[in-house]
Order: sequence, then structure tokens, then C-alpha cells
Amino acid sequence: MSDKLFNKILVANRSEIAVRVINACKSLGILSVAVYSDADKNSRHVFLADETVHIGPPAPRESYLDIEKIIKAAKDTNAEAIHPGYGFLAENPVLAKRCSEEGIVFIGPTPEAINLLGNKVESRIKMADAGVPLIPGMKKSESDINVYKKAANEAGYPVMVKAAAGGGGKGMRVVHSSDELEDAVSAAKREALNAFNDDTVYLEKFIVNPRHIEFQVLADSHGNTIHLFERECSIQRRHQKIIEETPSVALTDELRMKMGADAVKVAETAGYVNAGTVEFLLDQSGSYYFLEMNTRIQVEHPITEMVTGVDLVAEQIRIAAGKTIAHLKNLSQRGHAIECRIYAEDGENNFMPSTGKILFYTEPSGPGIRVDSGVMKNNQITIDYDPILAKLIVHANDRDSAIKKMIQALHEYKILGLRTSKKFMTDVLEHPEFNKGNTYTDFIEKHMTERTVDFEKYKSIGAAVSSLVSTAKPVLSDGTATGIPSPWELLGNIQIGDSIHE
Amino acid sequence: MSNLDFLFEDETITTKTEKTENGFKVIVGDEVYHFVSKGENLFKLSINGQSHLAAAVYNDGKYYVDIDSVLLEFNEPSSDGFAGGGAGQAGEKDKIFAPMPGKIVKLQVAVGDEVNIKQQMVVVEAMKMENQVISKAKGKVKAINFAEGDQVDTDSPIIELELDEE
Repeated sequence: MSDKLFNKILVANRSEIAVRVINACKSLGILSVAVYSDADKNSRHVFLADETVHIGPPAPRESYLDIEKIIKAAKDTNAEAIHPGYGFLAENPVLAKRCSEEGIVFIGPTPEAINLLGNKVESRIKMADAGVPLIPGMKKSESDINVYKKAANEAGYPVMVKAAAGGGGKGMRVVHSSDELEDAVSAAKREALNAFNDDTVYLEKFIVNPRHIEFQVLADSHGNTIHLFERECSIQRRHQKIIEETPSVALTDELRMKMGADAVKVAETAGYVNAGTVEFLLDQSGSYYFLEMNTRIQVEHPITEMVTGVDLVAEQIRIAAGKTIAHLKNLSQRGHAIECRIYAEDGENNFMPSTGKILFYTEPSGPGIRVDSGVMKNNQITIDYDPILAKLIVHANDRDSAIKKMIQALHEYKILGLRTSKKFMTDVLEHPEFNKGNTYTDFIEKHMTERTVDFEKYKSIGAAVSSLVSTAKPVLSDGTATGIPSPWELLGNIQIGDSIHE
Repeated sequence: MSNLDFLFEDETITTKTEKTENGFKVIVGDEVYHFVSKGENLFKLSINGQSHLAAAVYNDGKYYVDIDSVLLEFNEPSSDGFAGGGAGQAGEKDKIFAPMPGKIVKLQVAVGDEVNIKQQMVVVEAMKMENQVISKAKGKVKAINFAEGDQVDTDSPIIELELDEE
């Protein structure tokens, strides 16, 4: 093949996104290199890559976040490019810079674009100047509390105090009246300092019950920038998305085109190249406001792939190799796609992290069902990393069918040995307000807080199922157990195993 | 028919399992569940005519179950329950009972034998499965009340022990 993009790519990540990138490499005929910590020796991404490099102990700082180890692994394996996935080093301009110094292609935007868009305050100023709608509020951080007070009065309460370097809800405070403001600003500053080592905070109008609408964009190095429509990610828990869908029921074609054009404008204003996501808040009146641009492939990218048919990770690689995206004209949205994130978090116990060994694992299958998984049976899930285990993605002709398909897929996705939030998600999907499309960012707080699971009903079914589980090897007729008897076998328990046949 | 106990939090749940023409019937309290098919860890059960896919696995004293995406964990009964036997005899460490009505396939001890805790005592076949019954105490075999090939229920002790002094 004369137009081979790269010979070999190093994937500087783990779990499902590393698997996703490795699969994209395979589809393009590119060799892949996985990196792994001590905790990931037997992880799925390590099994799938063509080559593997051990990069240190489980602690991310000593492995997946260690830029020099990643660079060395790429050089040692002669990888020509590095794909950072999401999280870890994906939005770290230093990795992008180190790559260019070493003559390695960074599959993502330039360090300058990452820097600009990573600074929420600076990027807002730039986007406002370009004519992109912003939430009313302060354009930048100030030291004088009176400036915050004046801005809050102008925007109107409630207002939100946010960290400039923020993310994941840290350094964020909603303020309902002027007498709470001063305390909230100092608290947000402390939180921001702890979380990001930067106490810059600003203030803006708090939009009540908005929807979170984001647009996928792709930009090549030949000046082409396009959007691939929206994703609605309003179902969030403490600012973390858990269920995403596309299209959004809230967008008319006219609004979609207008927001899409503004998303393209944001990317162009930032001089952006590669895949990125422009996030907006959409209020009840149909006004929308630019929030930020994420300079990476997103967790929820598969739903865009399902409705547009575009392989976004493959396009990232093509763009990094200098190809154009001119072939991606005249895209349309076909059908409806939903994604659910399966986290190792206990949905029945305040989303406490859950650890343990995966004792049983099986995935759903069928038309329009996709599983992006980072795990396999016998994997040990530890607290070292992000709790994402897998993502279920479904595609159907319409929203109602997609919802039903997702509920069934969740039921068929079985992962035992850990607690997950599967039941929480089926409860969201079955909720009448979700089915009506009344999805706002306060959905979980409003509809899920009082939710309970009827364990009274399920405990007897569960015990019935348990009574049929094989617990040990059958006993031979000469009375000797097959191998060393397990404690349970010694209990004289009935063995309803595979040997029951008439 | 076999009885099993499971601990859910602090509550003991007893199940009665029966083989039926096309699968299994499990009775829990007033509820009857029909299982139409089972694999090693996957089970299909029918509740009010609707089928549900359940998964379960046993590991290290614990059962992990997923039914309708509800995750449950059960502990096996306390170690006091070993040596089989119906619930009524659980405390009698000097008597060995069949865990369910069945046929004695093999007697593994003789009168006068010194036996250890967890020693294999007798194999009872029920529902075409053979079940190893073990001792839950240390002692000497005082009496054996049945022979190989005999049918036993869960109320008559198969073997009686003279327990060692603690």
C-alpha cells in the first residue's frame, strides 16, 4: 500500500480506549504498541497490541503519566506516532511538545491549541471576540471581590463560580444570593488550588436546568474543519456523564446547523487540527452558550460513529498523517445511538468505587450493539485507575427502539465479582421523563435521588439462581473427589452441575 | 428435592430445588421459580411468563448474582452447617445425615474408625448427582445404620459418632 499512514503507533493509554485505538490501527494496517503498568500485565489492551512495553508500577504518575517513559517506549519500538487516548496525557501540551522535539507525531492538536483551549478563561475571551455566544459573566479572574459582586448582579443570580483550570466539578460553586458570594469564591479558590495548583476562578450566570449539548469536530491540516453533529450528555452525576445519546431531541435542524457552525468557528478560531469536541449548554428557551472545547477523543465518541458511519479514531490517525478530510462532506445522522458507561462503582451505595476480580464476564450481541470493553474475565480491578470497565453502545432506527435495545443490552452484559451501576442506568432508561426526552443536567438529582431497588423481591430470585450454581467438582462414584475438594464440596452440598442429563 | 441455605446480609434464605420435566423448579418461601435453561453460569428463568437472563458465579464462599441488572451477593451458610443434613439436625455434630433424600452410593468409614473433622464419610446420590458428605467433628464411628444401596431420607442418621472430648 503506497499511502500507508504510519508503520507503527504507540498507544499511551490503557483499558477500553487503548483497545479502541489498537483496533483502529489494525483496521488501517498499522502495527500497534501497548504500554502497561504492573497492574495491567493481563489487561485486554496488552493482549491485543502487536508489541508491548512495560512502563512501571501501577501509580499513574510512575507509568501512564510519565512522559519520558512514554517517549522512550516509542523510540525503543520505533513507533512513528503516539495516540494519547483520553485522560492521562491526552490534554497535556508537554507530551505534544516532547513528541515534536523527538520527531514523533502526536495524534492530536498542537501544543498551542491544547494550551489555549485548556485555559478556560483565555479561550472564552477569544471565542467571545469571534462571536461565539457565551454565558454572561466575568471574562477573566479578578482579585477584588467587588468585581465578582458587580458581575454577579449584572448576570443575575444564581451564578456559578468556576476554576479557570477546572474540570470534573472541582472548584465549582453555585451561588444563589449575594451574601453567599464571598465565601463561595474563597472556597472555590481553595479547591482549585488543591486540585489544579492554580486558584484562578471566575464567575458566570448559572443556567437553570440546561441540556449539555456537544458537537464533534474534525479539522485537518489543509484548512478543512467540519462538525459531525451533536451528542446530548445531559445525564450526569456530579458533572460526570453517564449516559449519552445522539441526536438530541431538543435540536431542530435549524438550531443544529447554527450550533454546528459555531462549533466549527470555535475550532477554527483556536487553529485546531484533529478531533475535538465543542461543549455547549442549551437553555430552556433555545439559547446556547459555549462552555469549552475538549482537545481529545471523547469517551462518548462511539455514538457519533454509529449515526454518521465515520471511524473517528481512524480519522484522527489519517489527519495526523497529513491526509485531508475532504471525503467527509455531506454527512448525515442516521437513526439514534445511546451509550452507557459501565463503571466499577456501586450504583446502590452512593457510587462507591468497587474493586475485585472479574469472576464471570459476557457481552451482549446483535444488530446495532457495540461493546467497547477494556476488561476480560479474571482481570483484577483496582483503585489505581479510572473506574471505567466498558461502554455499551446501541444503534436503532429511532430513540424508543434504541432505549429498549440498551435496556436489553445492559441486562445481557454480565460482569460478576464487582459492583457496577448497571441497574442505576436501566432505571434511568426506564424513567418516564427520560422516555419523554426531558433530559436536563439536573435529571439524576431530580429523579434518581429517591430511587430504591426492591431487594426484597430480588433476594429470593437471587437465592434461587444461586442454588443452581456449580460450586465444586462432582464426586466420583468411588467416593473420591476429582482433585482436591474445595471447602464447599466438603460441606456436602448438592452439586447441580453440568452432569445433570436425563 | 434438595434444600440449601444462603445468607443475604444477616438473613438466611432457604431454597428447595426440584428437577422438572423441562428444567428446574426452585421454591423460596411462597415463591416458585421455573428455570427453563441453564449453562454453567447463565440461567434463564421465567417469571409470570416473561423470561429473564440471570448470571451467577461462586467464589470463595460467596455467590455473585445478576438478575435484571440487579447485583446481589450471598454468603454460604456458616461453617456449622457442614456435614450436610437437614436444617433440623444442623446442631447435632455426632450424627451424619443425608443432605437430601437419596441412595447411599458409598460408605467411606467403618465402625470403630477414628475420623477427623471434614473427613469424607458417605456419598449420597440424589437427582442423579453424587454428594460428598463429611464429618463436622472429630471422633470415633459408633454406628452405621445403613448399607450401600439403601435409600435414606434426611431425618435418620446414617452414621453416629462418639465425639472426642474437647
